[in-house]
Amino acid sequence: MKKANRGGSRLLIGLMFLFLYLPIILLIIFSFNAGDSSAVWRGFSLHWYNQLFQNRLIMESLYMTLLVSLLATVISTAAGTFAAIGLYSLSRRKRDALLVVNDIPMMNADIVTGVSLCLFFVAFFQGWGSFARWFNGIQSAVELPTRLTLGFGTLLLAHIAFNIPYVILNVAPRLRQMDKNLVDAAQDLGCTWMQAFWRVILPEIKPGIVSGALIAFTMSVDDFVISYFTAGSSTSTLAMTIYGMTKRRITPEINAVSTLLFLTVLLLLVIVNVREARMEHREASREPRKPSLIERLAARTSGPGWRWVKWGAGAVMACFFVAAVMFLRGATSSRPVVNVCSWGEYIDTDLITQFEEETGIRVNYQTVESNETLYSLLKSGGADYDVVVPSDYMIARLIEEDMLEELDYGNIPNFSLIDERFRHLSYDPENRYTVPYTWGTLGIIYNTNMVEEEITSWSALYDDRYAGNVLLINNSRDALGAALLYLGCSVNTTDETEIREAFALIEDANRRGVFQGKVMDEVFQKMEGGNAAIATYYAGDYLSMVGNQADGVDLAFVIPEEGSNWFVDAMCVLKGAPHKLEAETWINFIASTEANLANMDYIGYASPNRVALEEYPAYYEALYEEELDQETYEIMAAPADVLERCEVYENLPQETQQLYSQLWVELGIG
Amino acid sequence: MKNKRSLFAVPYVGWMALFVVAPIIMVVIYAFSTAEGGFTFENFARMGTYAAVFTRSFWLAILATLICLLIGYPAAYFISREGPRFQRIAMALIMLPMWMNFLLRTYSWMSVLENNGLLNRFFSAIGLFRLINGLFGTSFEYFPMINTQGAVVLGMVYNYLPFMILPIYSVIEKMDRSLLEAARDLGAGSARVFRKVILPLSLPGVLSGVTMVFVPSVSTFAISRLLGGGTQMMLGDLIEQQFLGGAYNPHLGAAISLVMMVIVVVCMVVMNHFGEGEEQAVML
Repeated sequence: MKKANRGGSRLLIGLMFLFLYLPIILLIIFSFNAGDSSAVWRGFSLHWYNQLFQNRLIMESLYMTLLVSLLATVISTAAGTFAAIGLYSLSRRKRDALLVVNDIPMMNADIVTGVSLCLFFVAFFQGWGSFARWFNGIQSAVELPTRLTLGFGTLLLAHIAFNIPYVILNVAPRLRQMDKNLVDAAQDLGCTWMQAFWRVILPEIKPGIVSGALIAFTMSVDDFVISYFTAGSSTSTLAMTIYGMTKRRITPEINAVSTLLFLTVLLLLVIVNVREARMEHREASREPRKPSLIERLAARTSGPGWRWVKWGAGAVMACFFVAAVMFLRGATSSRPVVNVCSWGEYIDTDLITQFEEETGIRVNYQTVESNETLYSLLKSGGADYDVVVPSDYMIARLIEEDMLEELDYGNIPNFSLIDERFRHLSYDPENRYTVPYTWGTLGIIYNTNMVEEEITSWSALYDDRYAGNVLLINNSRDALGAALLYLGCSVNTTDETEIREAFALIEDANRRGVFQGKVMDEVFQKMEGGNAAIATYYAGDYLSMVGNQADGVDLAFVIPEEGSNWFVDAMCVLKGAPHKLEAETWINFIASTEANLANMDYIGYASPNRVALEEYPAYYEALYEEELDQETYEIMAAPADVLERCEVYENLPQETQQLYSQLWVELGIG
Repeated sequence: MKNKRSLFAVPYVGWMALFVVAPIIMVVIYAFSTAEGGFTFENFARMGTYAAVFTRSFWLAILATLICLLIGYPAAYFISREGPRFQRIAMALIMLPMWMNFLLRTYSWMSVLENNGLLNRFFSAIGLFRLINGLFGTSFEYFPMINTQGAVVLGMVYNYLPFMILPIYSVIEKMDRSLLEAARDLGAGSARVFRKVILPLSLPGVLSGVTMVFVPSVSTFAISRLLGGGTQMMLGDLIEQQFLGGAYNPHLGAAISLVMMVIVVVCMVVMNHFGEGEEQAVML
């Protein structure tokens, strides 16, 4: 009876683990994929593991993640445990009130916590700046730094701040269960409070502490929004790097690094358990058990004389920690630095190393996933980047709001290599702020095996024949832009009726069930796997999809006859950038023909460098020993007659932007 | 002596004032101000239009929490009855998947649930569709699983289940076994022991678990976009859109999140009250 019962419960536990591990197994399998896709299998390869160790951005952010998460877990577990004990010795009314406050950081949407912490830090830094200037003014013995910036320290504080509530929430139930008289009894029997803590409280609440620490670590590893807003411009965690990639495609290198992490933890678990099993075995053979290290320490250090030693040890640890943080900060400040922010998977990372070797300037390269995120980061004061690479319409907005610095083109001789077509564009008519980085077009990507005709018009997006198989791009500007073009309007119209008409077209199609969903980078997985027939996306990304399509999927790309959008992403320097000269050196390096060739090949978007654009087919042939066919080249770099049909996005006035976003939310309310 | 212990709460109260209350004050200031800095109620005026989003978010979060409880409680209970080594390994294994990035895990679920995805291909390989179509005269080529509310709930359950299991387990594991024996000696059957002894005693853990699942579920974002197809927005997405969307309206975002927090706090207070009552009933 009992046995059968246990079998049943084990079955249930097994099923739960299957549920938990099914996606993980898939993830691990795809880290060995020869292709770029995380959905279509192209054969076994260790390629991504090889790439991983050369990808400095991922390795650095992995190291940062482990450091921040471990430190934050240790600190918040210790602090949270003591706080919980403290809270439980208060009267119930006070305790309950404080526990509600404790829950607030968990209730808050991450983005709100992130932004408000960022504003808080920035305000504090400003206050500190004026205090330090005043203090430095009245005396000369101590020189206080006047300019503090977001960085490792603020990131760690933020992580501790959102971890502690979880620790308390896990420790609290165990404290509630504990008999309150136990501690008093221990103390009546002559224990000091510390002894009572180590001998009585700690063993009682240990499982709560362990689960609190586990959850804290998990939250730390997984968090990205709060990190975005508190990490400043020189530190990136792995989660931030991954989210930065979602403008394009998350590379399987990430699967590889996750797999390695996973296997390491698994290995540690096995080792610990084998050791424990051995110890239990020894115990069974009647050897006296050795007390664990902590128990021995606690026993030996419980006398009153030891108290000072413990405090001293604590102080030494704290100093060590501060020193480690200082070292980290120092390591980044002793060399000339440039802080760059761009999209994920938007640079051949070898270029960064090459630049550092040539110039001795260290590059802190951070990634975000959209123009809007970048804007939000800049607005809340959380980012002191030097170079940013926004798209056309966002550049216009930044110029309009006086957030960019004029460039000294004397430091950027390579600007002369930029094709005339990409200078003096509408976002920067006098070309005082920008150097173009890449350009490309928006178009329709479709699976010819799921569509009967050749698609030539945007009308396909709203066609009932493809009901349930169309992917709407999850970006109000592009989605409404396509609808506007279909209606024969300009993508830059500010006429409310035209925009509402375009929206009605989308809303109507949505009601008829034409759209399968709104997607951004998920489009890769869906189109490659043959899960949808039609999508709107960028030319360069289409090429990457074609290379990874599953059997039975045959993708095609078209720029519809009504015209489309062509975009330019350009490098700019932010107002008041602390490293302007280094920033211009970087921009000059990236504008060179060699860098443009490498980037065009890596990203798949076209280069604005005249020579690079012309030479690319030859470069491709030399690199891959096969000819680049003309059709592919023309999809990458649309020829002049196609570009003529296309419009560049301009920055819309505030009211129009609000209308866009209001309509977009309306569509989402459903 | 008691006073000394409560001193431990002091630094934390200070910390909370700095890192919890100060940011909240900023949220409140933002919610009641305009871009120019003036005081306004306008950010709350449009809240009615988002009623559908509020209802949907809370409804799906409640659903996810209930499912987590239904799976998590028995799992925690069964694990606590196993040997100590099994327990340790099981707990570590429950958290391990969570150390793989959230986004990667969710993408992975996408490829499982897709129309042409792993599950549908599996069903078609074992001839399930032929069977069903033959039996009911339907014409299924695949089960539509992705882009449904069910998929969103699945994503939430998957992501937050460990947060339910852990606190419940740590409470059950600590339970005084002699109480169970005593109950049995007094003639209670196992169902009765469970209902009258185990369940009430494990309530604090259940409360913690419910909080840790429900609260993040309400404000989650990206899950509804990736698994729900993004056509049915949730609160997290709505708030995110105000901060990271085209219009950049942090004031409206702060207002929405303030309203959300107030509702969640009310829910928590009601639940805790209910929980405390239960606990006392048991003590008596």
